[in-house]
Amino acid sequence: MRQGEMAAVIDLNEDVHTLLPLTAHRPIGTLPFAGRYRLIDFPLSAITNADIHSVGLFMPESERSVQDHIRSGAAWNLDLIQGGVFLFPYVATRDYTDVALRRRYYENYTQFLRRSGSQYTVVMGAANIANIDLNAILAYHKAGDAEITAVYKNVPKATVTPNDWTLTLSEQGIATSVIQASERHDGDEVSTVPSFMDIYLLPTIDLIDLLDAAAQTTEFRRLPQLLREAVLAGNANAFEYTGYLARINSIQRYFDANMDMLTEANYQSLLFSSIPILTKSKNEVPSFFAKDSVVENGVLGTGAYVEGVVSDSVVFRNVVVHQGATVENSILMQGSKISTGSKVSYAILDKGVVIGPNLTIAGTPDHPIVIEKNRTVFRASEVEELAHA
Amino acid sequence: MVTEMLGMILAGGQGTRLGKLTKTTAKPSVPFGGRYRIIDFTLSNLSNSGVNTVGVITQYQPLELNRHVQNGAAWGLNERGAGVTILQPYASSEGEKFFEGTAHAIYQNMAYIDSYNPQYVLVLSGDHIYKMDYERMLRAHKAKKATLTVAVMPVAMKEASRFGIMNTDDTNRIIAFEEKPEEPKSNLASMGIYIFDWAPLKKYLTESYATDGKMEDFGKDVIPAYLAHNEPTYAYAFHGYWKDVGTIQSLWEANMEFLAPNNALNIANRNWRIYSQTEALPPMFLTKTAKVTRAMITDGSYVAGTIDHSILSQNVKVGEGSVVKDSMVMPNVVIGKNVVIDHAIIGENALVGDNGEIIGTKDDIAVVGYGEVVGRKEKA
Repeated sequence: MRQGEMAAVIDLNEDVHTLLPLTAHRPIGTLPFAGRYRLIDFPLSAITNADIHSVGLFMPESERSVQDHIRSGAAWNLDLIQGGVFLFPYVATRDYTDVALRRRYYENYTQFLRRSGSQYTVVMGAANIANIDLNAILAYHKAGDAEITAVYKNVPKATVTPNDWTLTLSEQGIATSVIQASERHDGDEVSTVPSFMDIYLLPTIDLIDLLDAAAQTTEFRRLPQLLREAVLAGNANAFEYTGYLARINSIQRYFDANMDMLTEANYQSLLFSSIPILTKSKNEVPSFFAKDSVVENGVLGTGAYVEGVVSDSVVFRNVVVHQGATVENSILMQGSKISTGSKVSYAILDKGVVIGPNLTIAGTPDHPIVIEKNRTVFRASEVEELAHA
Repeated sequence: MVTEMLGMILAGGQGTRLGKLTKTTAKPSVPFGGRYRIIDFTLSNLSNSGVNTVGVITQYQPLELNRHVQNGAAWGLNERGAGVTILQPYASSEGEKFFEGTAHAIYQNMAYIDSYNPQYVLVLSGDHIYKMDYERMLRAHKAKKATLTVAVMPVAMKEASRFGIMNTDDTNRIIAFEEKPEEPKSNLASMGIYIFDWAPLKKYLTESYATDGKMEDFGKDVIPAYLAHNEPTYAYAFHGYWKDVGTIQSLWEANMEFLAPNNALNIANRNWRIYSQTEALPPMFLTKTAKVTRAMITDGSYVAGTIDHSILSQNVKVGEGSVVKDSMVMPNVVIGKNVVIDHAIIGENALVGDNGEIIGTKDDIAVVGYGEVVGRKEKA
């Protein structure tokens, strides 16, 4: 079996605190999306579509959720006789003042990269939902002058929040730095901002050099920081992505991204493009719609059982909506149940949530109510509590 | 790994009574129930019963069936030392090995069976919708010290003359077998499911083909020979949902029964799952104009019209203003706008153009063949 020209690294240690409680037991990478996906499906699908055979996954604290989803990597055609998915465990103590531990952090990367036999490496996060053609980025990189290529999308300035990572672009379209939006000094005449999509492409040998050099210093710097410093030192080719993008770093953005899929243009461009989005599929029965069910504008996974009303909502597999129940503008994750006479609007129900009969769960478009995994809500007093959480 | 019982699925029949639907594909690979193909039921039963070594005998239009079955991994049948093998007719120094009948197909594949040296061979057909634990049947076979056990299904007496009927004594021993008797003496219909002790079956088949008496068919030749030689042959009664989907009418009926919320097949039961080859398709999209009642819909489908009492398989598109009623729509079908589909089966990859009408009746189901393009009608 031929080794790939590119290898890929996905670091799943993204900051989760702004997405609590959804991220209490999972990294951003395994947040469920659009009725059947996990966020990591998007980078993994880009990887397999580009014929990449070696993928290093750097595991977050909540490893189980990732292991459970990835298994052998077969869903993304990554169960190969050579290469495949390599999982690097989370280091629990994280005491990087310890020299040996610090060295191990860099060695995990360099060992993987050396063995991959690849010429180029893609370094990606899992918090950006997009449909990426890595071969196009590779071609762009080869045509460019800089050692590193960074990927961005121009987004309306109003949609950018201070913590978002962005690129500063020269007039020739070269990226000179990766900075947070709060550090930008764009004039009022600027209406769009190059939002960095947390994707770098560079020669594997350069990445190894970068890591080896960092291992010699006394200060601990993680890979994202090293790459930002490398861009600052030597600039980067800036590849502009123009498709659908959602940057998941808050509950609101997570909610909005799911709701985006209810617009046909977004659904088509993200999920029905020439690059198929692959995910682990379960042998689930088709979704069933009963005699009096009403479903308007819904994106649904399989195995759902709908007797009531569902409108403008994203429904995952094995969800039950009983007779006389109404669900509007909400996200119902796998296995949640809405009992007779209840009404749910502007809410995110995590996996296995059960809402008892005749209750009203009502959030607002700007403040969706989030109900944590496996919670059962049966009393009005509990609903009160949720509204004030 | 010792193979105690080996499964052999007879999946080579032409299925002529399914008309257009089996013109280019074998009956076992015909889609069923939204996300399955008919053979999934048999393969899942094998997997759930712990029978992990399976030969699938194909002959007629095997391409789609082979692609579906692959190595059996989708049903968990890809264990080391076991697994699914597709058995197709081949030429050898003794001539071509096309299959002349059910028993002949087993005879032609003796070398495959012998390579596992099983004690028992379970013979199945790939065109029935049911959930059955073959391990329980094997226990009954062993308890009776039978050399052949035939699974039977009690049917209504007035229906019995349509089946192969087993007459049994008080111990369930089969004393006579009658193919489609005019005056049936019992109502135990053969389901075409047999457990044989391999050694005697091999002996009967080998001897008959070495001499003049050909044993081509299990019902016509093998069972009568077993009874004539006083082999311990027993009936094993099955109680549950079982449907032969050999005709357009019965295929449609079985799909409609599958839709019923209290269907005896209980497809959603997680203790006896039906597996299939699954493709990663986007979630289904139901637009603002969709009206969906008493329906099953599968991933990748896009619905802007009205669906009532119907099944949509994977990747089906139904345009605005269209109505699909009492119908079964197979994968990758595109239905345009303002189409009416009523009491119909729409074959895979078919296209029904805008304003088209496909209308059948309860007793005469309309069929659109695989990949057929049914003309778009200008509005009158």
